[in-house]
Amino acid sequence: MAVLQQIAVPLLAVNDTFLTVVEVNFNQKAAVKKGDIVMVFETSKTTYEVIAETDGFIKLMCEAGKDYAVNDIVAEIYSSVDEIVVEEKKVVEVVVSKPATTGVSKAEFNYTGTTLFSLAAQSLLQEKKISPDVFAGYEMVTAKDIQLHLNPNAFDKVVETIATKAPQPQKQNAALPDGTTSIKLSSNKKREIEYLSAVQETGLTSTLAINISTNGLFGSVNKHLKYFKNSLLPLLVYETSRLLVKYPLLNGFFYSNQIYTYNEVNIGFAIDIDKGLKVVKVAKTNELSVAQVEETILELSNQYLEDKIPVESLIGISFTVTDLSGEGVSYFRPLVNMYNSAIMGISAIDEELQRFNTSITFDHRITEGKYVAQFLSELKSRMESYAYNDAEVNNHIKCYKCFKTLQEDLAQVGLLPVITPQGKREHICQTCWNGL
Amino acid sequence: MSKMAINHKIIKQALTIRRVEEKFLDLFSQGKLNGTVHTCVGQEFSAMAFAAQLEKRDFIFSNHRCHGHYMAFTDDVRGLLAELLGKASGTSGGIGSSQHLCRSNFYSNGIQGGIVPVAAGYALGNKLNKNGAIGVVFIGDGTLGEGALYETMNIISKWEIPLLIVCENNFYAQSTPQSVNLAGSITARAEAFGIKAYKGDTWNPELLLTQAQEAMDYVRTETKPAFFHCDTYRLNAHSKGDDDRSAEEINEYRAKDFLVKFEQEEPEYFNRFKEKIDEDIDRMLATIFEEGDTKLEDYYTPHTNQKTEHWIALETINKRQVELMNTFFKQQFEQSDKVVFIGEDCLSPYGGAFKVAKDLSFIKPNQLYSTPISEAAIMGISNGLALNGFKPFAEIMFGDFITLAFDQIVNHASKFHHMFNKQVDCPVVVRTPMGGRRGYGPTHSQTLDKFLIGIDHVKTVAINTFFNPAIVFESILQEKQPVIVLENKTDYGKKILTNPSKAFIYNRSNDAYPIVHIKPVVSQPDVTIVAYGGMADFAATMIEDLFKECDIKPELIIPSLISEIPVEFIANQLSQTKKLIVIEEGSSYSSYSSELIAALSEVMDESFKVRRIAGLPVPIPSVKSLEEQVLPSKDRIINEIKSTFN
Ligand SMILES: Cc1ncc(C[n+]2csc(CCOP(=O)(O)OP(=O)(O)O)c2C)c(N)n1
Ligand SMILES: [Mg+2]
Repeated sequence: MAVLQQIAVPLLAVNDTFLTVVEVNFNQKAAVKKGDIVMVFETSKTTYEVIAETDGFIKLMCEAGKDYAVNDIVAEIYSSVDEIVVEEKKVVEVVVSKPATTGVSKAEFNYTGTTLFSLAAQSLLQEKKISPDVFAGYEMVTAKDIQLHLNPNAFDKVVETIATKAPQPQKQNAALPDGTTSIKLSSNKKREIEYLSAVQETGLTSTLAINISTNGLFGSVNKHLKYFKNSLLPLLVYETSRLLVKYPLLNGFFYSNQIYTYNEVNIGFAIDIDKGLKVVKVAKTNELSVAQVEETILELSNQYLEDKIPVESLIGISFTVTDLSGEGVSYFRPLVNMYNSAIMGISAIDEELQRFNTSITFDHRITEGKYVAQFLSELKSRMESYAYNDAEVNNHIKCYKCFKTLQEDLAQVGLLPVITPQGKREHICQTCWNGL
Repeated sequence: MSKMAINHKIIKQALTIRRVEEKFLDLFSQGKLNGTVHTCVGQEFSAMAFAAQLEKRDFIFSNHRCHGHYMAFTDDVRGLLAELLGKASGTSGGIGSSQHLCRSNFYSNGIQGGIVPVAAGYALGNKLNKNGAIGVVFIGDGTLGEGALYETMNIISKWEIPLLIVCENNFYAQSTPQSVNLAGSITARAEAFGIKAYKGDTWNPELLLTQAQEAMDYVRTETKPAFFHCDTYRLNAHSKGDDDRSAEEINEYRAKDFLVKFEQEEPEYFNRFKEKIDEDIDRMLATIFEEGDTKLEDYYTPHTNQKTEHWIALETINKRQVELMNTFFKQQFEQSDKVVFIGEDCLSPYGGAFKVAKDLSFIKPNQLYSTPISEAAIMGISNGLALNGFKPFAEIMFGDFITLAFDQIVNHASKFHHMFNKQVDCPVVVRTPMGGRRGYGPTHSQTLDKFLIGIDHVKTVAINTFFNPAIVFESILQEKQPVIVLENKTDYGKKILTNPSKAFIYNRSNDAYPIVHIKPVVSQPDVTIVAYGGMADFAATMIEDLFKECDIKPELIIPSLISEIPVEFIANQLSQTKKLIVIEEGSSYSSYSSELIAALSEVMDESFKVRRIAGLPVPIPSVKSLEEQVLPSKDRIINEIKSTFN
């Protein structure tokens, strides 16, 4: 048997009639071992690694960075290297590298009808040798859609930011220290590096941080929260979205010596629970209520866990929030994502000092420290305004022994903070303190 | 014989009319009356003969010189005094004043002639109700010049409507003596229409009372119209100081005046009556002066647009628009005694020029009125029916002819509710087909919508081919205000939502007057197109070509209520597309598009680009090649959009 394995483009999602080969890990005719990752495909949602089922020699019929139609054979594994005949390089008609991303959002409908092309779009298709099939799933395609597809930054609004560049060849370090084990980078990690390099590589980022008091905060905020009691994320996302409208420079990105701002506020939040780091979008954040933000976060988290995040929720993110408050960190410096101008980091609540730290890393090519400082200070006062008003606070603080609230402390002497025998911080009234 | 041969009670009442009016002139010269008054001093016995002798179930329509008729019919002196002093307690809340009175089956309006068909419609309503009530409409001799009168005389005679037309012939129309303006005989006019004519005068009240009663009895018992020519003379000016008549002439008539003679012959009675009346008037005035005016918030309620909230997917209906309309009317005819269809040539089997009325007269002959060629009367009679509790649907055969009904729409239907201080509603409906593309030429193809969308308190609705027109007509049934329904000749034969493009979603709002929204299935639209009525069907049919040629993804918004702008919805869409096209079949100067753009400019902060594509401002040519160019053609629409946005 000559051909041991044929590698065809898999059908991974209904609308993905083309997949991108993002990585080819072997050269033409190279030997592969059973279990090797031969190549990696990227769909609109995820990446897909092709594993060699057998030892053998590889015949490549594809190139990294290009698109191939589902069921196209892109590689074969042969039992012997002599059997591999490499034909003239197959010219791939389709030069576009991903399913079309036009100015459209496919959120609502799944269109299976014929795609109509405007006359201008038709001639552009011909000129650029683009297959109309790329646009399957869209009802109408204009010339602008095609330009957007070829260059997502052709217009002032970036619609999608999936990186499709071939991975950068790593510079070989001549003098590696001894006693190391190399770990192969996952394609996810590579993508992450690329994403973060885009802004950080310039070295022109800066981070500012501010402490925000949580004194009395959750007592009032928890009333609005259904699922994430005592969580900062929904409220911060909510407040940030409102502020981004006022601070548009933090809701944009730098590209090709120009500053762009997004027309919509679409905050993404970073999520990493066993399934890899993803940033998912709370669409039109500034139009949602706290409860709706919370619900969206829950829904996206569930979709994340089930690997069912729709592509729309991964693209068009205009600002990112990364919440490490669950990890107990007191401060960190988040890194700005590609096509973003800033990112917000949420650190853990310091129970003793009743506060938490919020940091923002921003692209200094877009704005300056003062602008971000104002943003943060405004965010702080908005967050702190949720704290209980006096009456509520008074009703909330009570003697841990007799449950008398501050409000009920008619003697007006107040309560003492104490450490209970169990080591908990509580309050105690004069009467109980005096041992009655 | 009159039930009320001349007696002191009648004399006292006639004198009351005179003293009240003389008081008005007094108050006017003191600057205490706003506006104008037309007194009937000298003509009071006409009021006594007709208005006072009518039964209370009967009704009166009167004109500018209506105080006497009002007091004689209602005895409501106080309401009249308060009305002219502009008080909230006045007959019409001070809104109507002297010429616009309304109370207990009494109506007056200051448009000469226009009240005659309205009165005929009201009387037709009584006839349909079989309640034995009749009506009197008062006109002056000058009003014999108005065409609506003759349209109506023809119809009341033909349809045997129980209405008495009283022509108070005082030999003058404002400043003009009759010899200058009137040809022929007055009574012969009525007789020419086969209407029984009576003649009398106010100088012999006793006889006049008898004659009037006789005429009214005839109308009531025969259920037929009659005409009463009543000679009389006004002793005062037309209104206030405008009198060029010779003193000699006036004195001659003053000497003949019954009340003047009564004063001379019975001074004691006269003075006793007069003192008592004056005392009563002054006592009433003293309290009226203390009263307040109608407040703006009681008079005017700011308009609120219909609120679009829910959207429903549209469905193809394999029936023609006209069939669906016909079905609606058939159902209404079967269900209701109050729905009346009225228009030219609408009798079956013909069933109207465009067959909307097909077979209706077979179902309920009494509720369908096929009229002579009399648009003013069609509309006026419909107004009268509406005032009398009916739901009339008037049909104007071609939209171009609606101008002949315009006075009835603007000066009557539109105004009744407010000018009578909200005591009445006029839920009349008038339907008419607009539009060209049929080769009918200049007078049968124009789109006159621009004249019909800005009439206060009138809703103007344009049906379309995207949903069952019955939805709109059901809403119209619930309306209390007048509604104009604009139809389109080329739409009648079309089926509902045929061949929708797969690339678009077709929705309508669930408003009383739905907005249709046609938008790309997946994409955000690039341009917002607004069109309604026939132009909407035209635009929807070419929507894919429009996309292909212009390289833009359009959304199409089709309002059906066009007398208000769904500004919130359109602004919302436009804030995303930033491009607006308005396509209309009529010419664009001062049209729906003008109003739409003005309304959007008021609410939108963002700038947007706009293009209006409209019919050219010339009469519609009949020849096909030219007609196509004058009306917005497919090619022109595409080219204009291209040149604007590319
Ligand atoms: C349609 C219309 N045209 C003109 C006028 C102005 N106008 C008011 S009264 C009047 C004269 C009416 O004459 P006639 O009908 O003889 O009534 P009279 O005033 O003599 O009682 C005119 C021209 C009007 N009110 N309505
Ligand atoms: Mg006259």
